[in-house]
Amino acid sequence: MAQNVYTVRQVNAYIKNMFTQDFMLNRIYVKGEVSNCKYHTSGHIYFSLKDESGTIACVMFAGQRGGLSFRMSDGRQVVVLGSVNVYERSGSYQIYAREIRPDGDGILYERFQMLKKELEEMGMFAPEYKKPIPAYARRIGVVTAPTGAAIRDIMNIAARRNPFVQLILYPAQVQGEGAKESIIRGIRMLEETGVDVMIVGRGGGSIEDLWAFNEEDVARAIFDCRVPVISAVGHETDTTIADYTADLRAPTPSAAAELAVYDYRQTQMQMQEYQIRMNRLLMHKAEIARFRIRDYHTRFKYLHPRYRLQEQQQKLAEAEDMIRQLMAGSLEKERHRLSLYMEIMKGLSPIQRLNRGYSYVEGREGGVVKSIRHVRKGDIVSIYVTDGVIRASVKDVKEEKHDQTG
Amino acid sequence: MTRQDKSQDVKEELSLEELFQSLEETIRRMEAEDVSLEDSFTLYHKGMDTLRMCSERIDEVEKKMLVLDEEGEMHEF
Repeated sequence: MAQNVYTVRQVNAYIKNMFTQDFMLNRIYVKGEVSNCKYHTSGHIYFSLKDESGTIACVMFAGQRGGLSFRMSDGRQVVVLGSVNVYERSGSYQIYAREIRPDGDGILYERFQMLKKELEEMGMFAPEYKKPIPAYARRIGVVTAPTGAAIRDIMNIAARRNPFVQLILYPAQVQGEGAKESIIRGIRMLEETGVDVMIVGRGGGSIEDLWAFNEEDVARAIFDCRVPVISAVGHETDTTIADYTADLRAPTPSAAAELAVYDYRQTQMQMQEYQIRMNRLLMHKAEIARFRIRDYHTRFKYLHPRYRLQEQQQKLAEAEDMIRQLMAGSLEKERHRLSLYMEIMKGLSPIQRLNRGYSYVEGREGGVVKSIRHVRKGDIVSIYVTDGVIRASVKDVKEEKHDQTG
Repeated sequence: MTRQDKSQDVKEELSLEELFQSLEETIRRMEAEDVSLEDSFTLYHKGMDTLRMCSERIDEVEKKMLVLDEEGEMHEF
C-alpha cells in the first residue's frame, strides 16, 4: 500500500474548500417544492427542496430569518437564494438559505407585465379616456370589503371632511376565489344606482391578495364604467392594472377619500368669500353712485338762478364799494386842493392888509371908495379896520397926485 | 342611470361646481367698470340666489353610510 491514505476530516475539508472556492455555488437561486419543513425552537429552519428528479437539503439559520416574509409549508413552490456547501458532520452538502420567496411571484409578475402591455397598446390607459373627478360629489360609491382598514379609513376621512356626502358601499369580496366577479358586480350595481364618483379598492396585502385588481375583467369594468372611478389598491408602492385604467389613482383608500370627498369647511369659507366680494362690489358701486349724485348736486347748485342772482348781487356790491372808494379818493383830493387854495386866499385876504394898518372904505352906495370922485363933501362913509367899522363924514375932498406906476 | 335618477337630475339642474362657476361669472361682471348700478343690484341678487342654491346643494343633513345589497336595495351599514 504505497498510496496515500487520507482521513475523513481531510477529505471533507478538501471538498468543502472546493465548494467554498466555487463562485457560482456561493450565490445561487434554486427553485423547488418545500418538503420536510421543520421550524426548530432555536429559530433555524430545516427543509428540503425537491423536484421530480430529486431533493437537496436546506437550512435557514435564525440569523437569516429576515430573508423570509411568509410561513413555509410543505408542498409550497419557493425560490431559495443561498450558498451550497458541505456539512462535514454527515459528509453531505446542503443549501444555506439567505432569502426565500414564494415562486409564482415571477409568473404573476410576468402575467401582470403582459396584460399591462396589452391593455396599454389597446389605449385603455390613455389620458383622453380619463373622466374628470367631480369636485363636489354628493353620492360616492365604494367597492371594497365591508370589514377591514380600507372602509374604516374611507368612512373616517369622509366624516371628517364632509359628513353631508352620502357614501354607498357595495360590500365586495376583494381577494380569493370569486373576488373578480364580486368587484365587477359592485362597479356595475353602483353605476346603476347612480353615484357621482366611485372608489374601488382595498387595503394592503401580498401580490396574490391584490391579484383581483390585476384581472383584465376588473380593469375593463373600471374602464367601461360611466361614473368616474378612483382606484385605491394597497399601499403607495402597489400599482395594479386597475390603477392604470381608473380615472384617477389614489395611493391608498384614505387618499381616495380625500380626493372624492370635498372639504365642507373649505367650501363654506369659499361661499363666505363670494358673499364678501359681492357685498364689497355692490357697496363700491353704490358709493360711486352716491359720489356722482353729490357731484350733480354741486353742479346744479351753481347753475341755479338764485346762485346767479347772488353772484350778481355780490358783483354789484363790489362795484358799489369800488365807486365809493373812488369817490372818497377824489373827494379827499379836492379837499386838499381846497385847503391849498384857502391858504393862498388867506394870503390874499384884505383882512390881512387891514392888519398892517390899511383900511377899507365903503361909500354911500356900498361901493369901495377908490377915488375922490366916489365921494362928496358931507357923505357918510364906512371905514373897515381889523376890529370894527368907523362911520365918518367927508369934510373935504382934495385931489393929490401920487407917483403911481402900473 | 335609472329613470328616477334622471328626473332627479332635471330637478337639480346645476351641480355645486357649476354654481360656483356661475358665481365667479357674476362677480366678474360686477367687477366690470361700465356696469350700471341697476345691473349691479340685479347681479348681486342673482349671486345671493346662487349662494342660497349652493347651501341647498350641500344639503346639511348628516348621512349614514348605506350598503347596497345584491337586490340593489340600500340599508344602513
